[in-house]
Amino acid sequence: MDRILLSLTDIFAKAPDYVLNFKKRVLLGLTVISLFMLYGIFTLTSFDMSTDSFLAEEDPATVALDEFRRQFGGDDSVFIIYTPKDGNVFSSASLSTVQQITDDLSNWEDLDRDNYPDVDWEQLNHIRRVQSLANIRVQESVGDTLRSDRLVPRELPTDQGSLETLKVRALDQQDYVSAFYSEDGRYAAILVQTDFGTIPVEGYEPVVNIDGIELDDGFANFDLSFDENAVVQEVEFQDTDQLAYFSFDTALRAVYENYSDEFEFYPVGTPSMMGQMQDVLNQMAVLGTLMVLIFSMLLWIFFRSASALWWPMVTIALSVVWMWGITVWLVDAISSMIALTVLLVFAVGIADCVHVMSAYFSFRRDGEEHYSALSHAYKKVGIAILLTTITTAAGVSVLATSNLEPIKVFAWMSSFGVFLAFFFTIVLLPILLDLWHPKAIHEKNSLADKLGARWTSIKNKRKLSISIVVGILLLASLGVLVGAFMIFVIALTYWIVNSQREILARVPSLVQGSPYLILVLFASMFALCIYGATKINIDTNIAEMFKADHPLTIAVTIVDENMSGTQNMEIMIDTKTSDGMLDSDLLVAVDQLQTRLEEGYPDIVGRTNSLANIVKDTNQIMNDDDPRYYRIPDSGQEISQLLYLFNSANPEDRRNLVSDDYSRSHISVTARNLGSYEYKEFFDDVALDVEQTFGELESTFPGLDINLTGTMATLMVMADEIAQSQFNSFALALLIVSLIMIITLGSFKGGIMGMIPNAIPAFLAFGLMGLFAIPLDTDTLLIAPIILGIAVDDTIHFMTHYRVELSRTRSIASALESAIKEVGQAVMFTTMIIGLGFAVLSFSDYLGMAKVGFFGSMAIFVALLCDLFLIPAMIIIFKPTFGVKNVNTSINFREAIA
Amino acid sequence: MKLKSTLGIIGTALLVTFFPHASGQELTGFEIMKRSDDAVRSTNDSSFIRMQLSSCKFGVTQGRITCAERARVKSLESVAKNYGPELKDTKSVTITLEPAAERGIAMLSYAYEDSERDNETWLYLSAMGRVKRIAAGNSEEETEPASLFGSEFTTEDTDTGKLEEYTINLLGETTQGNRDVWQVEMIPSADRARKTRYSRVVEYIDKERFVSLRTEMYDQYEREVKRMMASRVELVNDIWMARSLTIMNLVTNRLSNMAFVEIYTDLNIEDDFLTQRTLTDAAYRETELEKLRSQLN
Repeated sequence: MDRILLSLTDIFAKAPDYVLNFKKRVLLGLTVISLFMLYGIFTLTSFDMSTDSFLAEEDPATVALDEFRRQFGGDDSVFIIYTPKDGNVFSSASLSTVQQITDDLSNWEDLDRDNYPDVDWEQLNHIRRVQSLANIRVQESVGDTLRSDRLVPRELPTDQGSLETLKVRALDQQDYVSAFYSEDGRYAAILVQTDFGTIPVEGYEPVVNIDGIELDDGFANFDLSFDENAVVQEVEFQDTDQLAYFSFDTALRAVYENYSDEFEFYPVGTPSMMGQMQDVLNQMAVLGTLMVLIFSMLLWIFFRSASALWWPMVTIALSVVWMWGITVWLVDAISSMIALTVLLVFAVGIADCVHVMSAYFSFRRDGEEHYSALSHAYKKVGIAILLTTITTAAGVSVLATSNLEPIKVFAWMSSFGVFLAFFFTIVLLPILLDLWHPKAIHEKNSLADKLGARWTSIKNKRKLSISIVVGILLLASLGVLVGAFMIFVIALTYWIVNSQREILARVPSLVQGSPYLILVLFASMFALCIYGATKINIDTNIAEMFKADHPLTIAVTIVDENMSGTQNMEIMIDTKTSDGMLDSDLLVAVDQLQTRLEEGYPDIVGRTNSLANIVKDTNQIMNDDDPRYYRIPDSGQEISQLLYLFNSANPEDRRNLVSDDYSRSHISVTARNLGSYEYKEFFDDVALDVEQTFGELESTFPGLDINLTGTMATLMVMADEIAQSQFNSFALALLIVSLIMIITLGSFKGGIMGMIPNAIPAFLAFGLMGLFAIPLDTDTLLIAPIILGIAVDDTIHFMTHYRVELSRTRSIASALESAIKEVGQAVMFTTMIIGLGFAVLSFSDYLGMAKVGFFGSMAIFVALLCDLFLIPAMIIIFKPTFGVKNVNTSINFREAIA
Repeated sequence: MKLKSTLGIIGTALLVTFFPHASGQELTGFEIMKRSDDAVRSTNDSSFIRMQLSSCKFGVTQGRITCAERARVKSLESVAKNYGPELKDTKSVTITLEPAAERGIAMLSYAYEDSERDNETWLYLSAMGRVKRIAAGNSEEETEPASLFGSEFTTEDTDTGKLEEYTINLLGETTQGNRDVWQVEMIPSADRARKTRYSRVVEYIDKERFVSLRTEMYDQYEREVKRMMASRVELVNDIWMARSLTIMNLVTNRLSNMAFVEIYTDLNIEDDFLTQRTLTDAAYRETELEKLRSQLN
């Protein structure tokens, strides 16, 4: 092993020289390929943020949902829940306002465009139908007449008595309560149905346009035959991307928010939710910029050189460009997880560059000239960055074992990105440093040095006043939270820059003073994390994806509490028999199942709807509104004739509910928002209910097939998949990283010793989340291997350096001291840069990202503590020699200091 | 569900639509459509029609459009007579013969020219033996296009009246199925646009026979979503008409064919036949229909 390591060390030492010999060619090649990648990024990038995209096309949950959509259509509607300022949706003023909004949205072409300067009117073309209290109708049988009058007449009643009567009548409409208005009359909904999901793809050419195509002669001869082998054109519908939803949501909002003086609005539904996700992306862009600023600022301050700021950034940016470019050239659509990949590449790239630069600066400080320092720097850290690349890539690539497509893509993208960061650090960074490199100590001071000197020279009072002004400016421009965070970043950086040498110098004696105490402290922390991890609740809940004060969270809560809920489940029924859905026994079973669901799960199920509701309603109406006829008739002929009415009146509604040959239908269940864990239990119970209710019908319908699908089902399957795959992949990642460490350190003991400081940060997030009852959702689950990957980097640098020094000095004390001093600074810098950069993400409204930022950052800082205190403590206690013979194991830092 | 408000339209829409157009030489789009429309109205009177309404998913086999599954077929009989000083009011009754589950469902409609007067419709569901009057009420506002007996034909596809609600342009002349046709474009006015799913309709009117041989319906994205094709254009009682109309939904790939299996006009129809009694009294209905059938030859 030693020989391999030695020859590798030589290769890395020669690498800068070798690359510099072909400087122009390398630069030209990289530029051309980078332009190609950039072209791909700008022309091919397509985001697929939908939940469906997480499941493979052949996944049973996807198959069921696709089948459902093919048969009954998608349902991309916006539910605009509103509450009037007067608290009564049935007051004259509120009814008048909702009439106006409904009118505005239905007839948006008539609006005065000058009043809505920012509206993209084309977007409103997506509105298909608007329903609200203003235009919903009530069916009644008055004498021998069937009436279908508006619930709320166009001419609003003026006296209080009539308004009260209207309210009573409305609350008497079971199908509308909780769907269009709440039982207490405080909330109501405007349903805006859209054409998203039903627009054929661009360039779709109907088969009837083929030249020379004609109607079969049977049409003219009144003899309509059929051919089962005729080729039926499958219409492909446009995918709706997030931006389309966002643009529509923005235009829609501009129209209804014109009435925000009268109503408070809480929009829910896919277009609205996706629109708000776009806001989150926009916020991420701001936080991302802030993160890059922190990265840059710290690089500049730590190295006091502008080239030390720019070149790592260029190196990392190109890694990201190539990673992104290659992915979009190979994959159709990428998910929002690209944000995580970019973060990881940043973290790894910065670590690689900081270690190289730190070593380079160290040699320059020791008086070496540029080329020699460059060669020595790569010789010193080359192996370590190769190893960190391999371990991080291995840690992330195990996620590719997941069954979820975007996670697989994420795993490959990320591990590839990590290798790219290594590649650019080896190939590009030496060239960049050659083009423009930091000045040596004895040369002219950099701007950072000058500023530093200037700051030191001013009086403390003035320092304080400047600090206060800067603090106030930061608070004012970034808000209290982010501003306070930035002040903390500056203060911490100031302290580290001024005291890093003292801190690192005191570490060895501090550890030697109480190694067992340190060990016990970390062991307790680890035990606590493990305990916390056992308590963790794996649960993805839409309402908990955003912070509590986010509009979406508020909207979901209000809809759940006052209306029938935001989630939907579909129970697909396939009788495999033409006209099967007209069977009385079957419809009775459907009706029974609905009652079972509504009565058995009142806290979850808001309302249910199916063909049975239509049949019962129409039956009652056709029988003089006699409530005794609110039931499924016994004869199939009666059912058929009742549905005849429905079909004639609104074929689209009918088609949304039952197939053209009446063999398939579905029960829609509106449910309140729950976490995926509770859904799973609910699903199991419903499956049992279905079996019990439809069991007896098997003799009549031998092929009867009943499936549960809908957004809830997909979410549940997805969360379950992630939970399963994640645990396995995390364990696998730990194993692979341990193996790599054992092999490279040439010692089982050393490898295990190296793994413990990595396991603590990796378990920390799980542990804390378990202890504080924060549910582990799909986003947060992914950070463990990433944290492991990043944490392991510093440990590898530390352990590799320790081992090399041990071979050289044959003294544990010298090797440890050198490792703390030499690697400690670089590790401290990378921790500061990555940890503080990640921490910015904690301010995201999207909790998935906020948790990644917060726990990721904490783990990185804990990893630093592990490297500085736990590893030395273990070395002092266990005195590992990694197979190096004749080692002096005596340690006495305290005396050395004294 | 707005079945009661929309059913009122169905009965009359059937009758005012598929009748032949009178011949003429005018060249403006409006005049061409007006002549067709007037012809429809004038040929509405005292008619008996037996028709079949078939719906299926369609596909292509050997360059021909055909049903890809067994079509669901409805057989209907319809009797209509015009009233009023200018014979612009219509009373009609439509009876379902097939499928068996719907046999006997009947609809009686009175459509009045006077827009102040509400149209009237009565529906009889045979399985329940009940007649219900369907209040047309606010049928003119926000009408969702209703389906004709659950087929792909909607009231909107068949309602050719109210030409003044459209901007009508004569796009040019071309041929359709070896016949010379005018290509006439109809763009709904702002008011009409609220009631229609189509942003534009293009008619291909036979220059000699004044029969619409093809109709293309476009959505708000200028995409053709439906196409209606006429076939078996024949001279019936000295008037050209298409006896087979096929509408294809180009998004769902389903079609419906309306075949006028038998058509007779200028019959002597008793006024009493166009009353509720025909709906409920099967014996009376059959006797009266027999009387009509005897006139057919």
